[in-house]
Amino acid sequence: MRAWARDRIGWDDLVHIAAKKRVPVHRYTLFYYLGGMALFLFLVQVATGILLLLYYRPSSSEAFESVQYVMADVPFGWLIRSIHSWGANLFVGVVIAHLISVLFLKAYRAPREMTWVTGAVLLFLALGFGFSGYLLPWNTLAFFATKVGTDVPAQIPVIGHLLSRILRGGSDVSGATLSRFYGIHVAILPAITTLILGAHLLLVQRHGMSIPRSVEGKSRRSISFVPEFLMRDMVGWLAAVGLLAALAAFFPWELGVKADPFASAPAGIRPEWYFLWMFQGLKYLPSKIAGIPGEMLGVFFFGALAAAVVAVPWLDRRGKQGVAVAAVLILIAAAVLTVLALLPVPTSARP
Amino acid sequence: MEATAKASGPDAVTRRSWVSWFLGTSLGATLVTFFYPVLNYLVPPESSEPSLSEFELDLKASDVAPASGRIVPIGGKPVLLLKNAAGELSALTATCTHLDCTVQYRAERSDVWCACHNGTYDVKGRNLSGPPPRPLTPLEVYVRGEKIVIKRA
Amino acid sequence: MRNRLFVLVLLAGASSARAQSPPKAPPAVNGCIECHTVLDDPRITPPARLFADDVHAKAGFTCVFCHGGDARQEYQEDAHDPKKGFIGKPRPEQIPQICGKCHSDPALMKQYDPSQRVDQLSEYRTSGHGKALARGDIAVAQCASCHGAHGIQPVKDSRSPVSPTRVAQTCNHCHGDAALMAAHKLPSDPYEKWSRSVHYRARVEKADLSAPTCNSCHGNHGAAPPQVGSVTNVCGTCHVTFADQFKLSPHWEPFKDMGLPGCVTCHENHEIVKPSEAFLAEGAQSRCSSCHEAGSAGARAAAVMRADLVGLDGEIQRASRLVDRAAEAGMEVSKVRFDLVSASNALTKARSEVHLFRPSAVHVAVAEGLAVARKAAAGGEDRLKERDYRRRGLFVSLGLILLTITALVVKIREGVPGSRENGE
Repeated sequence: MRAWARDRIGWDDLVHIAAKKRVPVHRYTLFYYLGGMALFLFLVQVATGILLLLYYRPSSSEAFESVQYVMADVPFGWLIRSIHSWGANLFVGVVIAHLISVLFLKAYRAPREMTWVTGAVLLFLALGFGFSGYLLPWNTLAFFATKVGTDVPAQIPVIGHLLSRILRGGSDVSGATLSRFYGIHVAILPAITTLILGAHLLLVQRHGMSIPRSVEGKSRRSISFVPEFLMRDMVGWLAAVGLLAALAAFFPWELGVKADPFASAPAGIRPEWYFLWMFQGLKYLPSKIAGIPGEMLGVFFFGALAAAVVAVPWLDRRGKQGVAVAAVLILIAAAVLTVLALLPVPTSARP
Repeated sequence: MEATAKASGPDAVTRRSWVSWFLGTSLGATLVTFFYPVLNYLVPPESSEPSLSEFELDLKASDVAPASGRIVPIGGKPVLLLKNAAGELSALTATCTHLDCTVQYRAERSDVWCACHNGTYDVKGRNLSGPPPRPLTPLEVYVRGEKIVIKRA
Repeated sequence: MRNRLFVLVLLAGASSARAQSPPKAPPAVNGCIECHTVLDDPRITPPARLFADDVHAKAGFTCVFCHGGDARQEYQEDAHDPKKGFIGKPRPEQIPQICGKCHSDPALMKQYDPSQRVDQLSEYRTSGHGKALARGDIAVAQCASCHGAHGIQPVKDSRSPVSPTRVAQTCNHCHGDAALMAAHKLPSDPYEKWSRSVHYRARVEKADLSAPTCNSCHGNHGAAPPQVGSVTNVCGTCHVTFADQFKLSPHWEPFKDMGLPGCVTCHENHEIVKPSEAFLAEGAQSRCSSCHEAGSAGARAAAVMRADLVGLDGEIQRASRLVDRAAEAGMEVSKVRFDLVSASNALTKARSEVHLFRPSAVHVAVAEGLAVARKAAAGGEDRLKERDYRRRGLFVSLGLILLTITALVVKIREGVPGSRENGE
């Protein structure tokens, strides 16, 4: 068997490469697991997503009913769907944690700048998955959250409205938006992600694991990637699966009420937690700052932030903690905004 | 480290193979608990089409008498299934638009009546008299083979 | 002085704009308004100003159609000439005839609003108000009391005091005045009582105008309380089922013989509250015990009906709680909720069967309801069992996962033979 594989796909070479790969052991090694966890959760999403594809119908007259069908009638449909919904949140959370750990450990230093850049793009792709997927159950919450969310790009001058139109498949959120988001969620984003993720993983392979400066030069214990690191990885993965299963069993993801485009927005609509800081931040901006619409400035700020995230390797100064300090401040601000967004709003103070 | 010392010798081999066996078996069992739901999921339930866009009733078209009506549950809500004298089927949402009582068909007057406050509608759901402020919603009905199928609004 | 007045009137006449020409016969000039508004007297100016917005003014009618006189005259004695029919401010007993002059004339009314009734005056004469007025009692309502005198709007207009949303308060203007009502030997609390009723809640809180207000049961112009014998018919215009059942019940004849007011006997006339099984019980809210002594056949029948209804209600509550628990655990319960709705419908039907005052009728309806309620409860339990199955399945998987993690940990701690570990 091995001979057959060796002759055709170079099995032995692959095994050789894998066996050689080692992972340094130091006090920050724990953070090395986050990347693999993000990858694992992504694969869980792909698997559950493909299973959901077998029953989901992407039309405004059938989407909600098909999800209801999966939850109520399909054997273990509740499990697959709840894992997919909970998993999405866990996945984004882990991706953010992975970014934060790489940032503070400065693993983006040369020669790993492109690894960072592809990673930043993967973060944006993950957020794109989350945003496009959120609409697919076609319930009231999703419908209005998408309405609000697709209003944001409209703020960009000149091309804003066109961009919003392209996203929505029309001037308003409708069945056309659903079709579009479906295509984005199951085809466009997966295709792009495959390429970028492939590049990201290849680069990680190429450069090996980055060692933080503070432990550089000290005794270099290391463990083999296969099987030692992988086994530890697997402990984490199994724990993650257990967590998702428990969440699915105790807190099945809710169906909500089918979206009615003609009804007025219910109170308290908001996007998923990872967008809440933007949502809340935009609320606090005054309507005009020096003659420029506040929301437009907000959108510019987000754009600048995204660019800054991508450019981190070049913004960092050797030995200085500028990037780390800025990151801490931004994270605290985002956390505060998120908490504020989650607080129940007294009726009189509603903006 | 102890492990290295213990990692050699015939005892070590037995223990290692036992641990490997333990790992393999528990991992296998765990994977079974993953695949069991997935494989079940792949098998579509009995009623594959219903509760999506249309609802197939457990009723044959011939079971419904002409010039009669009956209440059937569709997606948890009452629906009035009617058959006129000519044998044509029609359906209306059966929740009265006044205070949500379930309406009924009155054969002697060929109208739809709500017993709660005497509201009346015609067989197409349009208001005729009484308190109800809005009409009932008609639903599409058709017959597939022998079964009656009602399309969701 | 009169000359100056004459000049003023002429100027006012010249400058006043005729917004729309009256469509039919009446003259275009309405000198009354010009003089009365210019004079700015608190007695005679407000009516003149109000009249501009009046539905009669818009139809081309002027002051003279009710007050007589001559609108084209400039001088007061000519305009107010009794020989030209001038009567000044009408006395209350004159008003119905004044309005009836046009409003009882079918040929005339057809020219303006063909679907409007023309029997208001004859109805009024049969009413409590009309009869009192004929006896010389002027402290009663006549046309102007309810419709206004000068800014009259169509009934459908929400500014009209007798529009559907305002008519009860208009009635209450007099019928809530304790002194006035005492003088007529009438209670002064109908509005207050009605405001505690389910009909008030429906009308005001749910904006359901099909719920009755004063004129729904008492009539508009022929306003009088329904006679004792006709109460059931009146309530039965909306509550058809109950009226039909009551007429078939053993209470119908005895109530008529005893002169009891049908539905009102148990349900009150103005303060109609939501009925409950307590009506059938033997407590403060009992309706039966006022006639049926404790232990009598009637009391026993009431107790049986009550027990049946309470039993069904209890089953429905129990099923509802089960379903809610399942729903909270995330289970899909829409199909079971349909059964709950059906069971609630059955309870409503059983409650209406009470009006047959035969325990067997109630029992049959309750039995049907119980069957459905039990089906709903079974559905709820089934959903809860599904929840438990899921949790059991979860614990099995979690157990296996834990086992595998343990195996991994053991394997990890064992180390790999011959592994290179620098610094050892």
